[in-house]
Amino acid sequence: MIDSILLVDDEDLFHLVFEDACSLLDMTLSLEALNSSDEADKLFKKWFEEGPAEERPKCVFVDLNIIGSSFDGIELIRKINSDYGNGVVIGIISSSDDNQEIEKAKQVGAQFWIIKSDEIEPRLEEFLNDYDGYVAKTSPFKVYK
Amino acid sequence: MQVTQYTRDILLEVAKKKKVYVEGNFLKLIEPELGDTEFIEYLKICKEKDSSARKKRLQVTKQVQQQNKELVKKQEENDALMEELQMALEEAKNAEWEADKLRQEAEKGKEQALEDLELMQKKTQFELIGKIVTVALWVILGVGLITTLLFAFTLIMGQENPILESTWSNLFGILLTNSFSIIGTIMGVKYATEKDT
Repeated sequence: MIDSILLVDDEDLFHLVFEDACSLLDMTLSLEALNSSDEADKLFKKWFEEGPAEERPKCVFVDLNIIGSSFDGIELIRKINSDYGNGVVIGIISSSDDNQEIEKAKQVGAQFWIIKSDEIEPRLEEFLNDYDGYVAKTSPFKVYK
Repeated sequence: MQVTQYTRDILLEVAKKKKVYVEGNFLKLIEPELGDTEFIEYLKICKEKDSSARKKRLQVTKQVQQQNKELVKKQEENDALMEELQMALEEAKNAEWEADKLRQEAEKGKEQALEDLELMQKKTQFELIGKIVTVALWVILGVGLITTLLFAFTLIMGQENPILESTWSNLFGILLTNSFSIIGTIMGVKYATEKDT
């Protein structure tokens, strides 16, 4: 089980889907969902500069195109990895399967790419099985289709 | 995490009397004491209820999500149709404008053709009148000349003829009167024609 998860996605309805799927899969005890990459950026900046580090989520799922944000999910991952300490398991959760975007995400340090679909649970379950490898940085980048 | 005996009893009592059960992630933290079958059973029911509620909600949210996607797709289709309709409307307007322009040009052409035709008709009329006037003048001059020559011949020959004198005088008067009459008629016809048009 993952201690805490942060979801950054502009779609409120997906927050509910994700929360219920996580609960049914016993994925986490604590799930926080944000609507914009700017909010997530502010939080990570605060945790990095002021702490406490324990408040930081252990795993972050970021949508690729977050409507109403100053920058997209790939830029958020770059900021978290480059500017705010690179201390979390982080990746993209998106309905897109654009290879160019996947490659960009990989280059900025995303560890996984989950493609959103009506049946998200099997992908999350597969991700949960690989999670320890992501924490240990031993699992290679993977696309969950 | 284990709960105290008091909390355990309260939870069981609330479940029994009010049918209210613990739910959510907090449930995952509660651990029963070994051998406490009643509380183990209670937690099992709680988890089943929580899981069932979440499954239902997940199903509903997925359905709503699907419907939203379909709505967005239909909205996009509608927008595309509206755009096509707008374009067709604009094309129709352009075609109407072109047709109107062509109609105006055709009307202009028709008016021009009628004017040309009228001009040609007038020209023909004038030419005809000119010919009639020329012929009439020649006839008048010819008759006048012949009579004058005849009268002059009789004078030279010394054969005065009172009949010829009066005839010449009458004829000359008649010819002069008639020539003015012809010219007057022609001018009157011309004036009347111009007034009609």
